[in-house]
Amino acid sequence: MDSPSTSNPGEVPTGGAQALPRAYLVRSQRERLLEAMLRVAAAKGYEATTVTDVIEIAGVSQATFDAMFEDKAACFLEAYDAVFDVLIAHVATAFEAAADEPWPERIAAGLGALVDLLSTEAEIARLSMVEVTAAGDDARSRYRAALARFTPFLEEGRDYSSQVEELPADTARFAIGGATSMIFDEIRAGRGPELKRILPDLVFAVLMPYLGPEAAEDEMRRVTR
Amino acid sequence: MGKQAATKVQAGAEGTGAAGKVLPEAPALRLVSSPKRQRILEGMLEVVGTNGYDTASVRMVLDLTGLYRQAFYDEFADKDACYLEAFDFGVARMEAVASSAAAEQDSWRGQLRAGLGALLEALEADPDLARALVVEVHAAGPEGLRRRSQAMKRVTDFIDSARHAPEGGESPPPIAAEGIVAGMHAVVHAKLAAGESEGFRELLPDFMYFAVLPYFGADAASAEMAAARA
Repeated sequence: MDSPSTSNPGEVPTGGAQALPRAYLVRSQRERLLEAMLRVAAAKGYEATTVTDVIEIAGVSQATFDAMFEDKAACFLEAYDAVFDVLIAHVATAFEAAADEPWPERIAAGLGALVDLLSTEAEIARLSMVEVTAAGDDARSRYRAALARFTPFLEEGRDYSSQVEELPADTARFAIGGATSMIFDEIRAGRGPELKRILPDLVFAVLMPYLGPEAAEDEMRRVTR
Repeated sequence: MGKQAATKVQAGAEGTGAAGKVLPEAPALRLVSSPKRQRILEGMLEVVGTNGYDTASVRMVLDLTGLYRQAFYDEFADKDACYLEAFDFGVARMEAVASSAAAEQDSWRGQLRAGLGALLEALEADPDLARALVVEVHAAGPEGLRRRSQAMKRVTDFIDSARHAPEGGESPPPIAAEGIVAGMHAVVHAKLAAGESEGFRELLPDFMYFAVLPYFGADAASAEMAAARA
């Protein structure tokens, strides 16, 4: 969400931009449209957002929009996936950076990175975690698919469970669902910018199904200050 | 930890640990003042469950119930108002199903097993109704979400009454119950939203495991899971 090409969205590239390879220009126009879609939809709500709003913010012509996207919904869905690309990459970076730590601490690090980014981008967080559930079937199925992308981070938790033989098959979905619902409630209550405050709760909710209550509470305390 | 404190205050205010009472009284059954009104509510849930909230219309409800347009508007201002009442009605019915199944049990674990089992049976029996309540409420605006939160809060309060159960050994953090309810909800929601119409009954052992684990420990949770599978 923070690429240089989008830092000045109102400005149409001129002069020097002509020297850039055409593929780069196309890509950056696309990125500008995706970011503009997110900004406008986050500010006005998806329903009220028009393609005209989006192309104005992006500084891109209607013809360019039409060449790239079939309609508003197609642009939104692609932008939506892009948000999760960024979220997942952010979580993965924190998770990998803690590679020498035990799995529960890596999970805490990943969750910490997640709430950091969501609270910094509170408007986009609201759009992608809350409003999306009201934006029709296509958007909702993207939302479910996006959440499933967090599953691989949890796989190793099975090795930490004392019940490894019979840990329920749905454990990852249960853990992710618990944390997601807490995030949903906080953002919906207007506390998105202070999402970091529930990090200990999220750590407990994700780890408890794997570690049991006592070990999960220890990890919760570790992130409580 | 403002959130935890708030949870504690609310739980205390509602006094959910009271013996004998499982889920609180179904709040909306009394709202249905006439058979005609009930037909409309049931029709609305069926239409929304089958077609989705956005597609559902008053016309579809009329076609399904065989009522005249005026009959609908005598009772409800519009589709939104009707759905919100239908949501309360449907949720109250689900709560009544769970409560009456649980009423025959006297331990928390027995009540949970019976109540949750009855709820999952109800989902299995009528997945369209479940979809109308669990999935489509998200399309019904902030008021729908507020009522959904209230319903989840009632389940959360029941779950958390486990910390007062005489045989309970653990005192998990206050957030534990919310995490359990949210997790179970997520698993059910994902199945319903994906259009699945079976396999709900089979969730009981896993759900018992997750709910028992924080209050009674891993051995008890495994035993519950095994018992629910039998």
